[in-house]
Amino acid sequence: MEEELQKLTINEGKGGNESDIELSSDISLRLLDLSDIDDFMVWASDEKVTRFCSFDSYTSKEDGINYIKNTVSRHPWYRAICVNNRPVGSISVTANSGNDKCRGELGYVLAADYWGKGIATKAVKMVANTIFDEWPHLERLEALVVVDNAGSQRVLEKAGFKREAVLRKYLILKGTTRDCVIFSLLSTDPRN
Amino acid sequence: MESDSSESYMKNGFVELSHISLRPLELSDIDDFMVWVSDPKVARFCPWESYTNKEDGINYIKTKVPQHPWFRAICVNNRPVGATSVRPNSGNDMCRAELGYVLASKYWGKGIATQAVKIVTKTIFDEWPHLERLEAVVDVENVASQRVLEKAGFKREGVLGKYFIMKGSTKDMVVFSLLSTDPKT
Repeated sequence: MEEELQKLTINEGKGGNESDIELSSDISLRLLDLSDIDDFMVWASDEKVTRFCSFDSYTSKEDGINYIKNTVSRHPWYRAICVNNRPVGSISVTANSGNDKCRGELGYVLAADYWGKGIATKAVKMVANTIFDEWPHLERLEALVVVDNAGSQRVLEKAGFKREAVLRKYLILKGTTRDCVIFSLLSTDPRN
Repeated sequence: MESDSSESYMKNGFVELSHISLRPLELSDIDDFMVWVSDPKVARFCPWESYTNKEDGINYIKTKVPQHPWFRAICVNNRPVGATSVRPNSGNDMCRAELGYVLASKYWGKGIATQAVKIVTKTIFDEWPHLERLEAVVDVENVASQRVLEKAGFKREGVLGKYFIMKGSTKDMVVFSLLSTDPKT
C-alpha cells in the first residue's frame, strides 16, 4: 500500500469533460519544492481530501515542511500535479525490489477545488506514458482504491487501467479494515 | 523401521488426516528437509532454486527459519514432508498476512497440503487477533496449488497480471483470501 498517499474522490460525473479541455492542456508534472508549501497545505490540510488517504489531514505547516523535506525528497518518484505551474495535488510511484521489482504502485491526491475536471485522469495518463521508459524493469503499474471511492476508480478506468479484483479487508483506513479494488496497467497495454 | 515411516500410511495412496500435523522445523530434520528443497519439480513454482548441497539446507534451517515470524514443518506421522509459513505486515497493512506452503512431490495429490492449510486457518486468527485476512498468491499455471486453497475454503479474488518474477520471468498470479469471518471448512 502506498505509504503516504491515497486516492481521491473525483466527481467525474459533473459536466462533460469537453468543456475542461482548455484546463486540461495547462496541466503539468514537476518536482515539488519547499517553496510550494502553501499550495501543498491547501490539499494536505483538507479533510475532504484526506478522507481516503492513509494520512490524517495536516494541521501544522511544520509537518508539511517536514514531509516535503524528508519524505518527498527521498521518494523514488514523486511529482506535483500543476495547473499553470501551481501545485494542486501530487502523484507518485513507489518501487519494489527483488522478485517484486516488476511492479510499482501509483498514488495521487488532488485539492478539492480541482475535482471533476479530468485533472487526475490526465496526470495518471502522463505518468503511464513516462514511467515504463524511465524504469525499463517495470512491467506492471498498479493502484489500490478503497471500494467506497468510486470517483478514483473512474480516474483509473478512464486512464486505461484494468480492474482486476476486489481484495477483501485488505487494509486499515482511519481505524477500520476496508475492501480495496486493485487496478493495473501493464507496460504492454495500449496507452490512451 | 519401515512400519514407522510415513510411507506405510500411503499404501493405499491416502493419508489419514489425523496423521498430518504441524510443528517447528529442527536441524535434526535436515535430511527430510533436503528431500523437497533439492527437488526441481517442487521448486518450479517457488521463487527459489532447488538446493544442491546440504550446507545450504543447514544454513537455511539455522538462520532463515528462525527469522520467519511463523514457520512450521508439515509432518506425516511426525516426519517433515513440507513446510508452511505466514508472513505478517505492519501498520495499516497488519490486518493481512500471506500464506505459503511447499510439499515434497512424493506426497502430492493426497490432500496433505489442503489439510495443512486448514490447520493453519484454524489457528492463525486466534494467535494473531488483529489478523482479518489471510491471503495467498499462486502462479496461474500452478493449478494444483489453486485447488488446495479452494478446497481449504479460500476465495479466488482475481488474477494479477505480471505481478511477480519467478525463475527470471514475470508471472500472472491468482490471489486468494480467507477472512477471519469466513466459515472454516
